Amino acid sequence: MADHVAVHRSGLTMPVVTPRFIDNAWRRGCDFVNMDLEDSVPQHMKGYARTLIKDAIANVTKGGAEAFTRINHDLVLADLEGIIWPGLAKVNYPKAEYAEEIELLDSIISRLERERGIRPGAVEIGANIETSVGVANAYDIAAASPRVREFGGAGGYDMSRDLGVEMFVGFDQFVYGKGEVELAARALGLEPHTAPFTANTTGSVGDPDRAFLEAEAARKCGFRVGGGLHPNVVEPQTRGFTPTQEEVDEAHQVLDEYRKLEVSGETWSETDGKIVDRYEAARARKLLDWSELCSARDQEKAEAVARVEAAGA
Amino acid sequence: MAPASQAERAVAAPKSNTDVVLLDLVEFVAEQDKPSAREGIVETVRQVRESGTDVFALVDSELLYADLHACVCPELTGVVISHLESVAQVEEADSLIGQLENERGIPPGALEMILCLDTAQANQDAFEIASATRRITGLTLGRAELVMDLRPEPSGEIHLMQYLMQKLITVAGAIGVPAYGAWWRAPDRGLVATPDNTEDAALRGRAIGFKGSFCVLEDQVAPINQGFTPSAQEVAEAGKLLESYRAAVSEGSASIRQGDRIIDSGTALQAQALIDRAEACEAHDKAKIDALAGRPVPAP
Repeated sequence: MADHVAVHRSGLTMPVVTPRFIDNAWRRGCDFVNMDLEDSVPQHMKGYARTLIKDAIANVTKGGAEAFTRINHDLVLADLEGIIWPGLAKVNYPKAEYAEEIELLDSIISRLERERGIRPGAVEIGANIETSVGVANAYDIAAASPRVREFGGAGGYDMSRDLGVEMFVGFDQFVYGKGEVELAARALGLEPHTAPFTANTTGSVGDPDRAFLEAEAARKCGFRVGGGLHPNVVEPQTRGFTPTQEEVDEAHQVLDEYRKLEVSGETWSETDGKIVDRYEAARARKLLDWSELCSARDQEKAEAVARVEAAGA
Repeated sequence: MAPASQAERAVAAPKSNTDVVLLDLVEFVAEQDKPSAREGIVETVRQVRESGTDVFALVDSELLYADLHACVCPELTGVVISHLESVAQVEEADSLIGQLENERGIPPGALEMILCLDTAQANQDAFEIASATRRITGLTLGRAELVMDLRPEPSGEIHLMQYLMQKLITVAGAIGVPAYGAWWRAPDRGLVATPDNTEDAALRGRAIGFKGSFCVLEDQVAPINQGFTPSAQEVAEAGKLLESYRAAVSEGSASIRQGDRIIDSGTALQAQALIDRAEACEAHDKAKIDALAGRPVPAP
């Protein structure tokens, strides 16, 4: 999976057992669709739910989105047997607590990939940290399989319940845990899946303005992974995680200035209060790469949607 | 912090009243200038040392052999090692320094080592790395926000830095050495900031447990010294507090109320530490003045 950088700016998590969500998912414009077998599926439908994934993969991906599935922490073998089919890009594993859990997932997925004609390593594992034990073992969990490529957590509903803290408050109640998880991701060279704190005391999950501001703040801190529960947040997240034209222009200016610096033998320069040095140059290169990936992804999705519409017409 | 490639700047640095001159072979020396910077560094160390200021060299963990061979001399106080990733690098540096001490007539263990934990891996393994040798006399995050590309959050705090600072200060406490740094906020960047913002960063830095900070501009030295030195008012208040506490103890109590506060042995120890710190700062400032004036200075 050498140089593949995923573009996961926006995504919707939805119960796989609700046909109107699944049937409309391709129209939402998100980078990924996360079909849920866990919290949004009632207990008596768990067995049925996992049988739906195989056909739903083609359905939710026809607009260009990647298909993910969130499985149940306690039903790993049955869920994986049900869902690992060609086209599934990622298994989200909730409440990851021990490296052994990820090793087990990895070995089952490896077997199923082999049996079902899927390229080895194609299925990613999202090891989501949602408990104190998970925070304590974060580094080992993240290091347990090369399938773990994005890594984050230590916030959200399950974490607040595990810690016994309030969920919607005006301060960051997860500073330590999020720091541990993000540092582990960075140390291992994984994509950190986190965001700077912005107060949400309302519990709103569908406010597009809020979603945009959060995504924008996250992008400015260098993060690239989004996701949500409500169709209203898809477009603002996609936009918020995509570099603006102004930022792209600025990055080109930084690189122009840096090339001059390199020739001059100086290590930094300052124009209008902005410093240019090798760190800014590295950041500018990263931004331009990301901007290109985002454009390519948007084009892929637009073409996929056009194909579906043409076929339907 | 002065680039080792600019000897005149480094030699003038003690006039800014800095406690330490850090001769930089890493951050502000262009790659093509590094060989000549290494050639000249021992002479610069000697010249800076004549003014009585402690001199450290900032070396690159990837270029340890060349950097250490270039800078180790009896006049050097120690080295700051940046861009560390592993315990093995610290052990390699330690043994190389030991060997150079031996070859160059320096008492064994004399050279100090300050670790600059500016990479994700170094912070992940901070305690193991900092425990790798007894030569370590301090820890800093250096320019971690640049090395790790950490940027301002909407609040103005630099992303992840509060976590990293607290982790560093805790690890430094655990191995019994000072942590160096300041609590910088946007728009401060890579140790560059206005004098006012620098003083605020130093005051916040002292409040969370840093003992001093590196900086890159001369006009930041005074605000850093100011921020890290207990003020006269703090010293006076600590003195009053100690007096009340001693009076209480002499009357057979373990604690006493002073206004809204309860003064006990813990508070008294903290007040004493502040007074000790203020005295040490004052003595050091006097020694720097004497040294700059060419008067003999007693060994600490």
